[in-house]
Amino acid sequence: MSKIEYGSLVIKSGGIQTLVEDWPGRVGYYKYGYAISGAADHYAHRMANLLVGNPITEATLEIAGGLFEAEFKHDTVIAVTGADMNPEINGKAISLWKSIRVNNGDVIKFNVSKGVGFRAYIAFAGGINVPVFFGSKSTCIWGAYGGFQGRALRKGDTLQIGKLQEKQLEKLEGRYIKPRFIPNYENTWKVRMLPGPTAAPDYVTEKGYEKIYSTIFKIDRNSDRSGYRLITPKEIFPQEWARKTGGVAGLHPSNLVDMGYPIPGGLNVTGDMIIILGPDGPCGGGFTIIGTVIYYDVWKVFQAIPAKDYIKFEYVDIDEAEKLRKEQDEIFKEEVVIGGV
Amino acid sequence: MMKSRYSPVLETVPPVEGVRKKIIFRTAGDGWLQEEYGDEQVFDLMDTFRLFTLMDKLQKVQIPGLIEFGNGFRTMTYRYDPKVISARELIKYIIEIEESIGSVEEMSFKSRIVELPIVFEDSVTRAAIEKYKKEIRPDTPNIVNGHNLRYVAMYNGITPEELKEKVLGTEWLLSHQLFWPGGTYQLPIDPRSSIEAPKYNPSRTYTPEGTVGLGGWCLYIYTTESPGGYQLLGRTIPTYQASQRHPAFKDKPFLLMASDRIKYVETTEDKLLEIYKLVHEEASSKYQYKITESVFKVKDWLNFINREDIKAEVREFEKRKREAQKVVKVP
Repeated sequence: MSKIEYGSLVIKSGGIQTLVEDWPGRVGYYKYGYAISGAADHYAHRMANLLVGNPITEATLEIAGGLFEAEFKHDTVIAVTGADMNPEINGKAISLWKSIRVNNGDVIKFNVSKGVGFRAYIAFAGGINVPVFFGSKSTCIWGAYGGFQGRALRKGDTLQIGKLQEKQLEKLEGRYIKPRFIPNYENTWKVRMLPGPTAAPDYVTEKGYEKIYSTIFKIDRNSDRSGYRLITPKEIFPQEWARKTGGVAGLHPSNLVDMGYPIPGGLNVTGDMIIILGPDGPCGGGFTIIGTVIYYDVWKVFQAIPAKDYIKFEYVDIDEAEKLRKEQDEIFKEEVVIGGV
Repeated sequence: MMKSRYSPVLETVPPVEGVRKKIIFRTAGDGWLQEEYGDEQVFDLMDTFRLFTLMDKLQKVQIPGLIEFGNGFRTMTYRYDPKVISARELIKYIIEIEESIGSVEEMSFKSRIVELPIVFEDSVTRAAIEKYKKEIRPDTPNIVNGHNLRYVAMYNGITPEELKEKVLGTEWLLSHQLFWPGGTYQLPIDPRSSIEAPKYNPSRTYTPEGTVGLGGWCLYIYTTESPGGYQLLGRTIPTYQASQRHPAFKDKPFLLMASDRIKYVETTEDKLLEIYKLVHEEASSKYQYKITESVFKVKDWLNFINREDIKAEVREFEKRKREAQKVVKVP
């Protein structure tokens, strides 16, 4: 592949929170304490990249909540996937899950979510040029590193995005994702969850799991890329802890001797509240992890709208979870795309 | 007994008397696996030592589909690619490596000694504590004379001077880094320095760079400005530099790594600030970090901690701590 040239995208509004994220985020620096980060909705992110002919690992913009606005300074092809936030170009509505031609001077503008889904993704043909920090272009927002200066985009920023030859752009515009590969967005998100590593019978009772798998959890308003907090009924915690205290690690039964956390998707219980760890979640700590949302489904958690949507866990075992992940990774191939030249 | 469908245990390996504890493998999702030493949640440096050896071995072999791993105090967490390897297959590789590791008692591992100047109750941490008192919790019991150090001394039943001696009198082993880039969880090599502290309640929104704090049994250097919950004792020199301009940070932005031993040396605030200036502003090699390559021999350490006089002093200190904690308020 020839060397990619870059042009400018001028940010007119950063919106609620817009971040540069790639996939699968940082690899190989977990033991040094660097957050994994990466696109919170790995599904929409990968599809957006496929549409514009990028490697699925390339960085996109992750728009949480909406209200992002930016002006293009050269002709290019983009694709928007994820939550529908009524995106417009020069005031005219554009389609999601489709690659679109944009011209020098065009302004793209996002409204807020239509009521389902919380994160939209824009992929740019040729990608985004930010420094690679510990192997990734992803932003860790709470640690303030990676991505665009370790922070969310704001008005006046200039982001470097791919500038391709006209011949290449012609081939990339007007491509669609086959409808059956476009997920349904809901307000109650069913996600499969695998118990462990600190589970039954020593940390949480059997009955506790039965309750967890039959409860619909409301998502707390304090939910972000570090973690999604679930409003946890007392009938689950503290009631169903299998032990009285955390022993040497602390008074509360959620305390334990520091260990590594699975990211993203680990169900971290600090005190009596379940938090589903996000891509920016800490690599480890001294609290139980009672389960993990499987990778196949974990993107759904971060499409849920804080303070509005619900999470419902479904049981799965390790063998099935590994099988599903393999199947999903097979999806992101040129065959799911229609159109183009 | 039939295994519960909510049990995460995929495999257990029985203990070998005098060699190792029981090993338990637990699922941590499709892509993460946890290996645990022993059934009980305990702080046991012997577990951490074994993990260092395991880590060293893991770095030298190629296991297909194993992406990376990181240790806690008594667990190893593996990240793997289920497209290449299943958790069950990965466990077989790990057991093979575990079988090749002998008794922890006979073990030695590479462990650098890093000398770090420290100022107790310095003005920068004092200002952070003042800010907390003003903005977050004015009536918190853990501030005495405008700082946490005297409170921590009271909580351990010792004088402020004795507390400083305990920090300065041992090497602190950096056990793991999981939490914050270049993170620095440290436990004392000398059990007589095993000081304790409860955490802030609620936690702090601001901790200055280089702050040395204590929470539970752990000493921790805040590598960069960040929130936090440990009791502040003082401040040390930079251990993180994002710009990587100073030669000590040329290869990576953090100075310290798991298995390092930190030796604190008391200095003055003027000297400390001068080092900050040399490292961060001038990026000058005029300040050279004092790092010595070394090997840690577990047997020597065991001989030391099992000495009758040492054991007696540890028992005596434990008693003083328990007595003090009956009366000292927790935040």
